[in-house]
Amino acid sequence: MKKECVAMLLAGGQGSRLYVLTGDMAKPAVPFGGKYRIIDFPLSNCSNSGIDTVGVLTQYRPLELNSYIGSGQPWDLDVSSGGVHILPPYMDSQGGTWYKGTANAIYQNIGFVDFYDPEYVVILSGDHIYKMDYSRMVERHRESGAACTISVMEVPWADAPRFGIMNVDGEDRITEFAEKPKQPKSNLASMGIYVFTWKTLRRYLVEDEADPASSNDFGKNVIPRMLAAGEYMGAYRFEGYWKDVGTLESLWDANMDMLSPESGLDLLDESWPVYARTFSAPAAFLGKNAAITHSAFNRGSDLEGKVENSVLSQGVNVAPDAVVSYSVLMPGVQVESGAVVQYAILGEGCRVGEGCRVGAAPEETAPENWGLTVLAPGCALEAERTVPPNTMLDRTGREVEKK
Amino acid sequence: MNGLHGIIFSYEKHNDLWELGAVRSPSSMPFGGRYRAIDFALSNLVNAGARDVGVVLHGQYQSLLDHLGTGKSWDLSRKYGGLKILPPFAYHQAWGEAAFRGKMEALAGVRSYLSGIRQDYVALMDGDLVVNLPLADILDSHIKSGADITAVCGDDSFRVEDGTYFQLSPEGRVTDVLYHLNTPRGNRSLEVYLLSRELLLSLVDECVSHDLYSWRSDVLQAKKETLNIQGWIWKGFAAQIRSVREYYDRSMQLLNPDIRRELFCAQRPIRAKSADKSSAYIAPDGRCVNSLVADGCGIFGTVENSILFPGVKVEHGAIVRNCVLFKDTLVREGAELAYTIADKRVEILPLRTLVGHASYPLVIAKGSRV
Repeated sequence: MKKECVAMLLAGGQGSRLYVLTGDMAKPAVPFGGKYRIIDFPLSNCSNSGIDTVGVLTQYRPLELNSYIGSGQPWDLDVSSGGVHILPPYMDSQGGTWYKGTANAIYQNIGFVDFYDPEYVVILSGDHIYKMDYSRMVERHRESGAACTISVMEVPWADAPRFGIMNVDGEDRITEFAEKPKQPKSNLASMGIYVFTWKTLRRYLVEDEADPASSNDFGKNVIPRMLAAGEYMGAYRFEGYWKDVGTLESLWDANMDMLSPESGLDLLDESWPVYARTFSAPAAFLGKNAAITHSAFNRGSDLEGKVENSVLSQGVNVAPDAVVSYSVLMPGVQVESGAVVQYAILGEGCRVGEGCRVGAAPEETAPENWGLTVLAPGCALEAERTVPPNTMLDRTGREVEKK
Repeated sequence: MNGLHGIIFSYEKHNDLWELGAVRSPSSMPFGGRYRAIDFALSNLVNAGARDVGVVLHGQYQSLLDHLGTGKSWDLSRKYGGLKILPPFAYHQAWGEAAFRGKMEALAGVRSYLSGIRQDYVALMDGDLVVNLPLADILDSHIKSGADITAVCGDDSFRVEDGTYFQLSPEGRVTDVLYHLNTPRGNRSLEVYLLSRELLLSLVDECVSHDLYSWRSDVLQAKKETLNIQGWIWKGFAAQIRSVREYYDRSMQLLNPDIRRELFCAQRPIRAKSADKSSAYIAPDGRCVNSLVADGCGIFGTVENSILFPGVKVEHGAIVRNCVLFKDTLVREGAELAYTIADKRVEILPLRTLVGHASYPLVIAKGSRV
């Protein structure tokens, strides 16, 4: 069953910097943008790019992700040859191990990739929000004859030290790779999206596995090793919206970006749709006194109060006299009468009791005390409770420290 | 096999839907912001455990076929059984000459399908009925009562186009069947009937051998003495989408939370085909109150007391009041709409004003630019 191209999606990470939001689910399963989960973006990109064979490498808390992906039908990936496959670590006659690193996760699934005998493998992460046509990147990879093509984007020079930076020559051939350089020589940041020629990658994965000193990671080990060996490593420049939503702040930012198409994240653009598994519910109802401005909302919701600059998922209720501003409300959140929610991320199924105060605006708070307030999925606040800014509560309503 | 088999009739017979009915059968009328009328019959059946449903088609069925697909949205895409489309290949007239004259003729045309029904009981429903019935309970009550036929009816005599009305005895037995009434009386039939497969087959055979074709006159009316026909009264919301007026009034009733709660009750969800629209969005100076708004809408102007289907865009300065706007309607800057039903992909150009009346809503045909 030969395929030209297979995608491998790294979805095993815990996403520990999302703290309580990923207490019960892997990061790619975290809801995003009112309608989606993070993994909808790479899966939709695959589907829209004509890649119909996708391996999803899972490890941390995969239940939510498994049930979300199901047969792959929402992304049109339920095809009879290929399709989407969940690939957890497994045992064989010699035993088995957890995925030790990103490269090891692919190494352990060499059998899966070989089964489809592809020319190229696309390696993707499950924690980025972007729309990208992978087929153009693969095309460039093929034309250049590279062993590996890495997608890069220009970032502000000031931010460059936070990224993996690629130095390139005049033909965009990568000459040097620097992980979080203090003195960056370029502002081309790796987006964590790689195209490899499979038979070359396969060889390096075997070599990397044999090296006991390696931490079996693409960025740390495999790519530097390939570069050192003189392989042709190309950079593919991407222009458009791309965001790593690995932290609470960046997740909140990306949700807010969705409200302003100027940000570059235009989800209404139907030429490159993002698909999602949806649930059945009637259209949203906006009550007689609803005051909703600059906000997104979804089906199954009943909005009676005031909502501004917020992103509301499916099945959210905002009672009359409740106020929600600059917040992200995940599916099924209930905000009861008189409650005020500001600058907060509320996990799936949270209930904010009557008269609660959750979070605060930066202008009302001393700068050193300010930050987003985050409630874990399922957290229920009794009436009149105040949760200060920069606070995180777990499912039982107990405060959790950000480490 | 125990359980319920569904047969949904979807054929042209109603002429009061104006332009809305010209491009689709009543079963595929959009309703309530994101549904098609037939979603209700299908969901009612599936929620009662039915896993095999036949849909009898006739005329203007392309829109309905698009909507139904393989039946996946209702979990009716099954290895065995599931959704079966029963196209109008078998009716007695020459192609295009006439519609089925009645349900019994339609059923006679699919006699081989009927004989393959695996379940002991069959529910006959119309595709234009918007309701959320506890069909499982109705089947229980049908079996316990020992009735030959259970006829579901409303507790009102609400006037509907081509409606059927029952006189019920104090015990609930149907004693008379009335239609073509100037002043409706008795209980309005919801055109939902439960009976055993055997009885249905024998009725179909008997009708076809006497060239009889009408369920209403040749079965219900003719056999009300010999068959035990029991009424089962539903007190809740039940709309039969047969005229623009009824369509509009019934749509607007959905702005009442009690009616929504009942029609969309969580125990018996109404399922619809899902579309890949993003979230709905209201702009900083947009305003929207007392309205149902589906996914993918963009509101930059003002919307009041309206129902917006997916992807409707109301531009800056536009005002929409008491309207039903179908999928992808575009209301340009400064336009004003009231008491208007706009079909799919209608575009209202800037600064146009269109005003209907509650008793006579304006209808704008699919794809029009005004």
